[in-house]
Amino acid sequence: MNSFLVIPVLAQARFRPEFIWDNRDIFLGGVRLTLFIAIIAFSLATAMGLAVALLRMSKSRIVGPIMGAYINVFRAIPLLVFVLFVYYGIAIQFDLAISAIQAGILALTLQYSAWLGEIFRSGIQAVSDGQRQAALSVGMSRPQAFFRVVLPQATRIVIPPMGNMFIGMIKDSSLVYIIGVPELLRVSNLLANTTFRYFEVYLATVISYLILTTAVYFGVKYLEKRYALVDVLTSRVRSPFARRRSAQLLKLQEAVTTSRGSESTSGRDSA
Amino acid sequence: MGRTKDAEPVVRLRNIHKSFGANHVLKGIDLTVGQGQHVVIFGPSGSGKSTLLRTTNLLEAPDSGSVWFDGKEYGPGIEGEDLPRGKARLLREEIGMVFQQFNLFPHITALDNVALALRRVRKVKRDEAEYKAATYLDRVGLLDKLGAYPSQLSGGQQQRVAIARSLVMEPRVMLFDEPTSALDPELVGEVLAVMRDLAESGMTMVVVTHEMGFAREAGDLNIFMDEGVVVETGGRELYDGAREPRTRAFLRAIL
Repeated sequence: MNSFLVIPVLAQARFRPEFIWDNRDIFLGGVRLTLFIAIIAFSLATAMGLAVALLRMSKSRIVGPIMGAYINVFRAIPLLVFVLFVYYGIAIQFDLAISAIQAGILALTLQYSAWLGEIFRSGIQAVSDGQRQAALSVGMSRPQAFFRVVLPQATRIVIPPMGNMFIGMIKDSSLVYIIGVPELLRVSNLLANTTFRYFEVYLATVISYLILTTAVYFGVKYLEKRYALVDVLTSRVRSPFARRRSAQLLKLQEAVTTSRGSESTSGRDSA
Repeated sequence: MGRTKDAEPVVRLRNIHKSFGANHVLKGIDLTVGQGQHVVIFGPSGSGKSTLLRTTNLLEAPDSGSVWFDGKEYGPGIEGEDLPRGKARLLREEIGMVFQQFNLFPHITALDNVALALRRVRKVKRDEAEYKAATYLDRVGLLDKLGAYPSQLSGGQQQRVAIARSLVMEPRVMLFDEPTSALDPELVGEVLAVMRDLAESGMTMVVVTHEMGFAREAGDLNIFMDEGVVVETGGRELYDGAREPRTRAFLRAIL
């Protein structure tokens, strides 16, 4: 009787939380596919986004503007429209051997590669040119300077916006329901339409997305902490890694101090 | 430390020109650096001193002229000559550079800053590279800062790590681009002390600096640059007996 008062929309049908539990396999199946699509599309988009960013920064007068156009085009199309276009407009129309899942992943990947390309570009450009110069000055090649020095710094800068993008990807992956991919939203729709338990179904859907995105949020927090710059010799961080590393460094200091004592008659002061 | 003209040349710049757009920064510079020599370059800002250093290790490609190092030629070269060519990356392995803004890699520790090129360029094994890096950090007095990140170090400490990062590659020549200009006054001394040590050890050095005390003491060959040309060159006597009025005016202004 209580829930009747709290949720008047359900006047005809009492709220039945156990309905969600009874259909957990359906929801879990949807969640699994949602995660699969989001992870695959995000990974592909990350790789492509990096390529887009690098090409966009190319000094060539042709490549740079082309990538600029690429970014503008894919950012401009509403994702739902793009999903329909890729699947019905291209895959089905031209009878390509592409499944709905593949078409959905393709659409998400292309669009997100444009967004991620811009994020990477801003991250890379935020690293001062002195870093590249310093890397070159000790004999590193250009690729080494980029991958060993510039990119790791850019990566730390882009971790928070990348987290946002991944959350966006999880949510946007719901749009592929329109081409029949049985991800979380699609299975929810089907279940709701056959059982008429709209409230329970969509409540479960909402909670599922909430759990997924919250997990990503904590994942990003963990990454930021994991990549925090901490001197293992002076900090009180007690991770196994920090303990092992600080033991190594102490040993190294000892070895150098010992060798200094034995070899130097010239007696070099430390400044 | 007084090695002079008869030393075997290590680096030779001939007729170097460099422009950035309409700005003609270097207008035909000639400079020969001998083994073990300490060259000091000074002059007003915008005179092309830094660009000259950066051209020496090819961080800037000269528009014309020849950079010669250790039997190989770089840059466009001199017309009519056909000297053996070298690769810029290999030259940079042999010529160390210390920057005004330190440019330490902020995402890795002091130890890793020094060990990085050993491992990635020289392909030295990790343990060995770290040991060698630690001895060089010890040499600049920072053995206790192995695990510190650049942001946890003072400017003077950062610059000393940067010097160790270059030295660990055992370069034939060290270039210093205003190494103390970004430091608080009380931190200048510790960096100059390391540089003096290095000069005494016989390292070939080219130093762009406004530290006239250091220049007087260490400079075997002193060069005054203004507006992209070498105005005057001399030994230690240059600081007290400059012939060119522009040199005299500049020295008067900063001393």
